Amino acid sequence: MAWYVLQTAMGCVGALGFSILFNIRGRKLIWSMLGGGLGWVVYLAGVCHGLDVFPALLCATLAAALLSEVLARVLKAPVLMLLVPMLIPLIPGGDLYYMMSFFVRGDYESFGQRARLLLSEAGAIALGILCAASLASLAVSLHERRGAGR
Amino acid sequence: MEPSTPARAASPTADPARNEAVLSCILDMGELLLTSGAEVMRVEDTISRLCAVYGFSKADVFTITSSIVLTVHTPEGRVITQTRRIMARDTDLGRVERVNALSRSLCARPVDVPRFRQAVDGLRRAPAYPLQAQCAMYAMISAAFSIFFGGTFSDALAAACSGVLLFASLRFGARLRLNSILLNLLSSMLAALAVVAMVSLGLGQNPDKITIGNIMLLIPGIAFTTSLRDMISGDTISGLLGISEAILKALAIAIGFAVVLMHFWR
Repeated sequence: MAWYVLQTAMGCVGALGFSILFNIRGRKLIWSMLGGGLGWVVYLAGVCHGLDVFPALLCATLAAALLSEVLARVLKAPVLMLLVPMLIPLIPGGDLYYMMSFFVRGDYESFGQRARLLLSEAGAIALGILCAASLASLAVSLHERRGAGR
Repeated sequence: MEPSTPARAASPTADPARNEAVLSCILDMGELLLTSGAEVMRVEDTISRLCAVYGFSKADVFTITSSIVLTVHTPEGRVITQTRRIMARDTDLGRVERVNALSRSLCARPVDVPRFRQAVDGLRRAPAYPLQAQCAMYAMISAAFSIFFGGTFSDALAAACSGVLLFASLRFGARLRLNSILLNLLSSMLAALAVVAMVSLGLGQNPDKITIGNIMLLIPGIAFTTSLRDMISGDTISGLLGISEAILKALAIAIGFAVVLMHFWR
């Protein structure tokens, strides 16, 4: 448990660092940091309840992406600005590394396993982003149809 | 994308010089958005809204990641086209937000051309975090992710050192105007060499965790996200361009680390 807390905290720190590199300022820094933590917590919760990597990562991405779509409208900021830092802790950097290192060592069986894992992780994140974006645009067009434009 | 609202405020004139100046300001805003990492949809949307506000009767804008083409019709039936070629993009979401805010305020209350020009130039000079802070962030992110992926605190320290080295080499390479894929390749090789050196000197026990911390710094996460969002809004060309660029970059990083590690490990 302590490890999970430490890991989530480090995920938050990473998200905060990237927000600063992307030149985000003020209160939005706190939001993107918390959103990064939220994504990772959802992923951990999913994995601990026996979910596979793909659905867990999909849920985590959906949670972060939907939060950023809502927050963007509340804070009147571009969605991308909140979304990108929030997704940072979910990026499978570890598997990219291990895949490459198995390849270098000539262990093609493990390489294939990692490559498949990496592909499904990237797919889960992509699917999450796509679903959240389509849901948001659906919500916007429903809202506009009811007569409330920008 | 055709804004149908005719001249709302800023008086449309038959003065071609004024029209061209307005067009150039509008394109500057589009260019700022695109080079700061905004989605294509946002760029096209902003440009066509502004064209409508400034009294052009029709605006056709076509944007991909490397170019913006804008043709407008004035109420008198004159047609003007301007084009921008976008060479390099980086990520400055703060700037995207400021351009967005200016566009909102212009749509609500348009200003005359000199003040428009001034506002756009002001956006370009907007503040960035100082270099030292950015460098510190490289160290912090790298250290945080090496712990995140299971490293010890001395791994984190080593990752922070090689993160600083990465920052320096990326800055230096950008000053030399190196191609970004080549730059990523060379920087990852340098970082991998630093990791090997530090581990053999006894700083950090797990070279894999240190390296992962560095890789997280370089992974093109924003290009990936933007491209996917481009595709969902119908800009398939831009999405595909962006994704292939992201994959090339990820490959360059992986190869960069692999080449060095191949020599020093087994």
